[in-house]
Amino acid sequence: MKTHTLYDGDSHRWLMFGRDPNKPEKIIDTNQYMVITKDNALLMDPGGIELFSAMLTTVIKQVPVDKITHIFASHQDPDIISSLGLWDQALQDATLHSPWIWESFIRHFGMQNINFNAIADEGGSLTLDDVKLVFIPAHYLHSSGNFNVFDPQTGILMSGDIGAAIEADDAPMFVDDFESHIPRMKLFHQRWMPSNEAKNDWVERVRELDVKMLCPQHGRIFKGDDVGRFLDWFEGLEVGLTGARLRQ
Amino acid sequence: MAAHTYSYFVVAAVIAARLEKATRIARHLSITASNARALAFRAGEGASGFRPLTDYIHRLADLTVSSSSRINHLASELSRTAAEKERAERALRHFVDVGERAKDSPFIDSLQPVFERTSQRQCVLRDAYNSQIKLLTSELDTLEGELRAAGVLATMSRVEALQADGVYQQALNNVADNVESVTASIKKHIQSSQTLVQQLTQELS
Repeated sequence: MKTHTLYDGDSHRWLMFGRDPNKPEKIIDTNQYMVITKDNALLMDPGGIELFSAMLTTVIKQVPVDKITHIFASHQDPDIISSLGLWDQALQDATLHSPWIWESFIRHFGMQNINFNAIADEGGSLTLDDVKLVFIPAHYLHSSGNFNVFDPQTGILMSGDIGAAIEADDAPMFVDDFESHIPRMKLFHQRWMPSNEAKNDWVERVRELDVKMLCPQHGRIFKGDDVGRFLDWFEGLEVGLTGARLRQ
Repeated sequence: MAAHTYSYFVVAAVIAARLEKATRIARHLSITASNARALAFRAGEGASGFRPLTDYIHRLADLTVSSSSRINHLASELSRTAAEKERAERALRHFVDVGERAKDSPFIDSLQPVFERTSQRQCVLRDAYNSQIKLLTSELDTLEGELRAAGVLATMSRVEALQADGVYQQALNNVADNVESVTASIKKHIQSSQTLVQQLTQELS
């Protein structure tokens, strides 16, 4: 699994893990993210059970296991958090931050040691050492209880499935040509995202943030002007489509 | 079922399921015992020899129900422990894999306490699993022994039925048949569970 540094500052680092060439076939490629501060690390959407060994191998090249004090699961999907039962055996005093509506569902993955912090619908924040991270509501995009993580200091937004694209496992890390990237993400957003109202509300709120990098859980990262391009495109896209309208 | 092809935690779940069935069937024996008592009462002097037998049927029913419920509970616990043990073993396999793949990692030492903690938990679960198997084996053997008396009871019931008036004879024979078939059915589940438990015991050694 590859590691890519998105930000390396005095107070913290942002890392992205993904593009695993040894990933089992027929499971979707996923991007995992980690914020490392002085004494803590937050692992975001740590992935499915099939990725656990590769993830832990990659992570301990960056931090000791006991430094992973926080996990974030944007929602309840298996590619997001089905590895929880194994992280639960690996981490002794960690806290999982996830939407409140999924607590009793997520616990089915196995959670005896890790604490659960239920994020309220309105969102919340987490301070790791001196670094404040904000949980941005992104409900119905696609999951009915769903959050992004925003770092106001760096402008990095971990956007979960928003901005996701389905493409080859060895795809580049960053979007380099927005127009040519659209076909890779259009169907995913139209089919997976159920609500135009929720989508437009999210776009409006995210426009007010100073997002410099938009980091989805699948596919490439948007940076610089491509963030604005994505927000414009997403705002104009009709979602919640099925059948013939989806294939148009 | 070629049970040997299944993992131990699946076998443990199969045992729990079979013993749950045995518990349900054992409840039928209670109904049979109540019917037999009512029937012997109605038959009056014509079935006076049958009446004491109904007490034995009742006792057998109570014993079978309580014993099979206890065994069923033990089997469910065994199944839970087996699943937890498998989880710990799976985590250990992952940690070993990570240990090999990340041996040059600067933080590889941080994996050692994780490995030790999980190994310790796996040992605790293995010990619990072993003693649960032993207890289950002994309870199954005891119940099987108790059910042996049911065959004698059915034969005695038939002999006493012969003494009863014609109208009750068939009904009392039905009671004897019920005792025989219900206990045979329970025995079948107990014996197949014993075979599966034996398989788990062999895997331990």
